[in-house]
Amino acid sequence: MDTSSDEADDWFIDSLNTYKDLHVFQLEHPTKVIEWTGDKRICVAGYTGARSEILELLLPLKLYAGDNQGLCAERDFKVQHGGFSEEPVECLIHIPETRFVVTSGGSSPALQIWDIGGDDSDVIKRTGVINPKSTSAKCGKIASGLTENPTVLHGSYTSDVQLTELATGRVLYTVGNESSDLVSGLQFVNACVFLICTSNGALLMGDIRDPLTCHYPLKESMSGLHWCFGLRTSSSQSDPSLCTIARLSSSGHMVLSDLRDLQNPFCQTQLNVQHSSAKNEFLIVSWASVLDSCLSVSGFDGTVQVYNTRNWSTEAQTPQPVFSHRGHDMSYEAKCSGSRPVVTTHAWHPSRPNTLLSAATDGSVHVWDWVDKTTDT
Amino acid sequence: FYLSCRTFACRAFVKYTALLREETFLKRNPLRKTQRRLFNAKHTCLESDALPIVHHVKYISDLPENHRFPMGKFPKVLECLLRDQVITDKQVWAPKIASKELLGCVHTEEYLANFIGGKISEKDQRRTGFPWSAGLVQRCRYETGGTVLAGEISLQKGLACSTAGGTHHAFPGYSSGFCLLNDLAVAARHLMGDSTSRKKILIVDLDVHQGDGTALIFKEEPDVFTFSMHCGKNFPLQKQKSDLDISVEDGTEDKEYLSKVQEHLPWLLDTFHPDLVLYDAGVDPHREDELGRLRLTDQGLYQRDLYVLQTVIKKGIPVATVIGGGYSRDIDRLAQRHSIIHRAASKVWREYGL
Repeated sequence: MDTSSDEADDWFIDSLNTYKDLHVFQLEHPTKVIEWTGDKRICVAGYTGARSEILELLLPLKLYAGDNQGLCAERDFKVQHGGFSEEPVECLIHIPETRFVVTSGGSSPALQIWDIGGDDSDVIKRTGVINPKSTSAKCGKIASGLTENPTVLHGSYTSDVQLTELATGRVLYTVGNESSDLVSGLQFVNACVFLICTSNGALLMGDIRDPLTCHYPLKESMSGLHWCFGLRTSSSQSDPSLCTIARLSSSGHMVLSDLRDLQNPFCQTQLNVQHSSAKNEFLIVSWASVLDSCLSVSGFDGTVQVYNTRNWSTEAQTPQPVFSHRGHDMSYEAKCSGSRPVVTTHAWHPSRPNTLLSAATDGSVHVWDWVDKTTDT
Repeated sequence: FYLSCRTFACRAFVKYTALLREETFLKRNPLRKTQRRLFNAKHTCLESDALPIVHHVKYISDLPENHRFPMGKFPKVLECLLRDQVITDKQVWAPKIASKELLGCVHTEEYLANFIGGKISEKDQRRTGFPWSAGLVQRCRYETGGTVLAGEISLQKGLACSTAGGTHHAFPGYSSGFCLLNDLAVAARHLMGDSTSRKKILIVDLDVHQGDGTALIFKEEPDVFTFSMHCGKNFPLQKQKSDLDISVEDGTEDKEYLSKVQEHLPWLLDTFHPDLVLYDAGVDPHREDELGRLRLTDQGLYQRDLYVLQTVIKKGIPVATVIGGGYSRDIDRLAQRHSIIHRAASKVWREYGL
């Protein structure tokens, strides 16, 4: 305990200069989802054990106080709404402009629709179920449609991905792909175009107006690895040149592609991570919402690493992160329990440039605003 | 005639009580009345009969922009006490800078040489939280001098308050957590006296972080008792062993906190029989503190300070206070919070006719 708590004390003093803000919250049960449901609200949900709690949390108001810290005493996360799911929650997405979230989990591809609720009630109620016709026993990945009519794109294998209308449960579109690869992620690029990333690193691009999808496998397939992806879209969704895709493997291999040419990635590199400890289910790569060229990676250990890809060349170098969040590793709880937590998920704040949220296997949830020390150089 | 007898009796009574108190003080602190005690002061206020405040303009030094340590709080504490007319400048003493000899009774020669000479490693500077500068060295030495002076004054006058101090994370050979010199330890060692006229010192450290440096320094010293009440989950994770450690849970509020102090302070005083109490009145247990994890209010801090001071003074034991820790980016509010101890001390000063 001695050297490691010494390390934690060193980190703590350092953190006073390396973070502008850092707020810590302890959930009773860990979450592997963090989804924005409003400017200051997030949804988290349990994934361990059968009966899982879904919570909508309000971020510490002190984070928003800026220089007027004295006016705001509230530095804790506050539970605004809560509900129970009969199954562990693996995926949770928010339907924009509504108070609905859709979850998936357990051993069936069914989706649950929830109403988070307004000011009148603090209960998150289940309002519907979507039962896809798929026979798989795996829960699906979900993405929100970007049309005015609330829809979700979901599926566990590429052969069963479909677009379902929330209000009616009507299937509006199915991916007509014969191959049955495991889906690791999916997302809409704009109202009609979507991307699916498979577990073996291939990308599928589809258009809901067109039954066919285009398949872009990785040039060098590396077996035994699991891949995930992160999509960077600009505010003008129709401009494909500003849509970049990052694919990350469980060995730390990173591939960057432009939507205009998914066949030929423009950059490949190897991150310095510990391969053996990767838990595939927690692997996440995410682009910054405001900062240009910045992306973040987590799931290998108890840290979140932020990189600036601007100067990444096509040669396989080992880039250094511009920031490493070690808070989950250095907490009192982590030091006392002896077992090292793993970051389960993380997310960037939609409008604050350097603010991120992260959660770990020990139930901790952090919101942090890091200081970019590289801007001076 | 009857009235004048009554007033005469009244005056006599007051004079008698005052004499009694003075006698109690002198009994505990046998100083030759005629001999003026040597103070480590640049400026004294011996004629003033108000609460002695110890302050130095050099309590501050420049820090890089956006540095998190609220250096600006030290002059602001004094400003706010003067502005609110809690004190006047006629009662403000100024300390001498702490000499190397003085510091040497706690810190190692090597550390002092490196510290004063600017040879602290990059790694060690990071653990301290401050980038090294000559100004920083000077301000730490003045701060330590201030605590020493407050202790000296309190031995003669019963109560004295510094507008700085509480650097309890400094160890003999290294610094940590914004503390480079351990002012409470230096003051205790200096005021203990030599073996022929040993004084016993009780250090009451109510800063929200454990007084780890002080605990280690006096581990083997029977004449100094270190009592620290702190939040268990706060820095430092690596705890030392004070003579009495009370670890408090996150989110503890006024009532529970005060009851814990009330549980321990009286029996400590009654069993240890200190000749002097050094009190670290850190305000970081406050709910708005950015680093502490407790939820005390302004009122809670005030009640705490009043309780500690009254309990100690009632037993005829002198007490010197330091402001301890407090972290907030709103320096004005923070300074206001730090001034709570001085306000409580002013009240106690008047109450007990010191």
